[in-house]
Amino acid sequence: MDLREKATNRWKENYTWQPLLIAISIVIIIAIIHKAHWEITTETDPLSVWNERKMIENDNMTTITYNDQKLLNKTITFKGVLEIFPYTNTSIGSPEQSNGTFDEMDGLVYNENSYKKCMISLNGMRILVNGSLDGKFYKNEVVTVDATLIERNFTYERNGATIELESQIWEAEINDITLADERDYYFFGIEFIIFAIGLYFSLNRIKNLKEQMSFAKHIALFEFKRGLKTPRMIVLGLIFFVFIVGMGMLLGQLQNDSDSILGTMTAKGSIVQLSYFTFMIGSMVAIGVSVDTFHKERQENTMNLLLARPINRETIVLGKALGLTLVVGIPALIAQIIGLYFMITEGEIPPIGSMFAFLFFGQVMIFTMVTFQLCLAISARSGSSVVIYGLSAWLLFALVWALVVIAMATVIGVDINGENFENDPDYQQFASRIGLLNPGVIYQMVVGLFTSRTLAVDLEGVPGWLALLSVVLWPLMCLRTATWLFKREMKG
Amino acid sequence: MTANLLELNEVRKDYRIRKYGRIVRTYNALNKLSFKVKKGQIFGFLGPNGAGKTTTIKCITGILKCDEGTISIDGKNIENNDFENKNKIGFLPEQVGLYRSLTAIETLKFYGGFYSLSDSVIEERGKKLLDILGLGNSSKKTVNEFSLGMRKRLALATALLHKPEILILDEPTSGLDPRGVKALRTLLLDLNKEGLTILLSSHILSEVQELCTDVGIIHNGKMIRQESISKIIETVEKTAIKLSLRVNEFNEKSEKLLQKKKGIEIIEQNNLGKHQKIILKLKEDLIPWVTDKLVANGLKIFSIEPHNTTLEDVFLTETEEDNGS
Repeated sequence: MDLREKATNRWKENYTWQPLLIAISIVIIIAIIHKAHWEITTETDPLSVWNERKMIENDNMTTITYNDQKLLNKTITFKGVLEIFPYTNTSIGSPEQSNGTFDEMDGLVYNENSYKKCMISLNGMRILVNGSLDGKFYKNEVVTVDATLIERNFTYERNGATIELESQIWEAEINDITLADERDYYFFGIEFIIFAIGLYFSLNRIKNLKEQMSFAKHIALFEFKRGLKTPRMIVLGLIFFVFIVGMGMLLGQLQNDSDSILGTMTAKGSIVQLSYFTFMIGSMVAIGVSVDTFHKERQENTMNLLLARPINRETIVLGKALGLTLVVGIPALIAQIIGLYFMITEGEIPPIGSMFAFLFFGQVMIFTMVTFQLCLAISARSGSSVVIYGLSAWLLFALVWALVVIAMATVIGVDINGENFENDPDYQQFASRIGLLNPGVIYQMVVGLFTSRTLAVDLEGVPGWLALLSVVLWPLMCLRTATWLFKREMKG
Repeated sequence: MTANLLELNEVRKDYRIRKYGRIVRTYNALNKLSFKVKKGQIFGFLGPNGAGKTTTIKCITGILKCDEGTISIDGKNIENNDFENKNKIGFLPEQVGLYRSLTAIETLKFYGGFYSLSDSVIEERGKKLLDILGLGNSSKKTVNEFSLGMRKRLALATALLHKPEILILDEPTSGLDPRGVKALRTLLLDLNKEGLTILLSSHILSEVQELCTDVGIIHNGKMIRQESISKIIETVEKTAIKLSLRVNEFNEKSEKLLQKKKGIEIIEQNNLGKHQKIILKLKEDLIPWVTDKLVANGLKIFSIEPHNTTLEDVFLTETEEDNGS
């Protein structure tokens, strides 16, 4: 059988999912157009322009110019991650700054003209903004800036001598800055609609969908009722409850304690931290309750009786995953709400969006861990293997992830011997990107994302939309893998 | 002419042995297996261990997917009509696994939920079935408290709850006490009278002979014989019958005489004290020759009777022949 014939057969086998696969292909094409749109209409690498900058110092003359002379008076739309220099959102013009000193990096001399202006850093490129960004834009937001390169003249004192400064500075008005998501939402909207249409038509192709969904509900409720009664769930649920409520209270109190071991906590930081603790214990409970689902059923021969019913294997996996998620998710939700309540009463109120993300994506995270464990339970050949796999996964994701990241960072050449290497941008970027392989890190990222007002946020090297996409893709991939593994058994 | 309810056409099934997700070995379980079960039949499915009986049943019930060939129920391929076909099947596996924490009635409600039956219908039908199967007083007991036989009967109730068109039973009497076996036999015959088609896989041949109208003998994944029981026995009897003789003394001379004669085989010799019992396998027209020669040799024949051919004889003959070929 040649490759073409194989591909044709595989395509025919996937008749049900053909519309969805077509939709995903279109979404990928639109994503490429999306990326190309940004590349064509904006300068997405401001640092490459910034690196063209050169400074020449003579006895009484300093000039700051760009190698490309055509840039002067030219307006370019830059796209990048916003850093407010010097990392606080205050305006230049305070008495300390307006002292006539020359700042080499900013390329200007602070004087009365800088009053109420703001120097921003866009991916490391300095742009002087005519106005204050207070309350308008925040650190790590991805923005576009229509900046113009303008030549300005200053004088400043150096060793008693007056020096002329001729400096080319990128300048912009407040109105020239916009959040990048304004354009992204058009693309994301279209992509979402196409995906939804594909999914709709695929679901329509599933035979007896209505019946299968009712069977999934039937199994889910059965697993839920059964799971809640198990001693294992009662013990794990109790531990979960006490831990989350306790940590919520502690994190609230730490917001008022500047000497805390966890550092000075803000309301935003606290909820991200609480999401980590929720993942740590929630994933343990999720793995604990689903550890032997399929394996035990095979051992006790309950599966054959179920498989002979008019129910698809996909429905069985979905039903079990939903049921086990409910078993863990409902007690978790109660614990999370109470933990959050204590955190708020002891400290400050985090943004509403982050509270929603903390609760909602907490359930998604539990579903992810349940389906992940189902994959292990389906593929494992013995009871002890299932337990060992589950425990290893939990240890990796919840406890030793940071160590694994450090080890991997060393391998790729990040220097971890320096002090505060965690603040090294290269390390942070690596840790964030590799974090997409860990549902717990993604959960924290998404909660962090929702503390912002926009998805156009850079999460230390990971764009907000990618974190959001990952939190959706993880459970879907786990569910798909579990059903694939379970269906593979049919082939014998 | 009665229509076929179940039809297997050249079904092939291989098992794959995987290591780290890769297939390292395959072995063939079903090799172009074909057979038909007509509506209203009680079909006995026979075969030695490892012949492919359970694999066949798993393919029919949709637990396994066959690699080649087609399986149809009421003329519809199960691959394209999984939902519809599974609604027509009632299945009792050999090893019954039920959720131990559920009561009998809860078990019925759980499995009945997959046939879009309302709770009241399940309860009504369930109670009736539990009564018939002798579990009427145990409907509120948990499965944990049930004996193996009770579990088997409860599993049978779950298989009958949705009023299937064909009931597939894999070794249904294993684990049942004689009373349970008898009750099951009566129930199956009653259900068959009401129109239920039954496919019965069993290694207890007497049971199959007593219950079934037709049998299929599977060996090495192939159907080597499919006919009505009476026809199968008749065919074998035509080839050779068994003769049981009771004589005073079966000496060496007589033994050599019979051994020399083509078409006669001495199967068994038993000393019964004053008499000896000899079982011969021979063609029917050789019976006068045997009696004449033995009498001429001075033997006294006390009794002579044909030894009835059982399904076991057929089964052994057929599978031996197949092994030989």
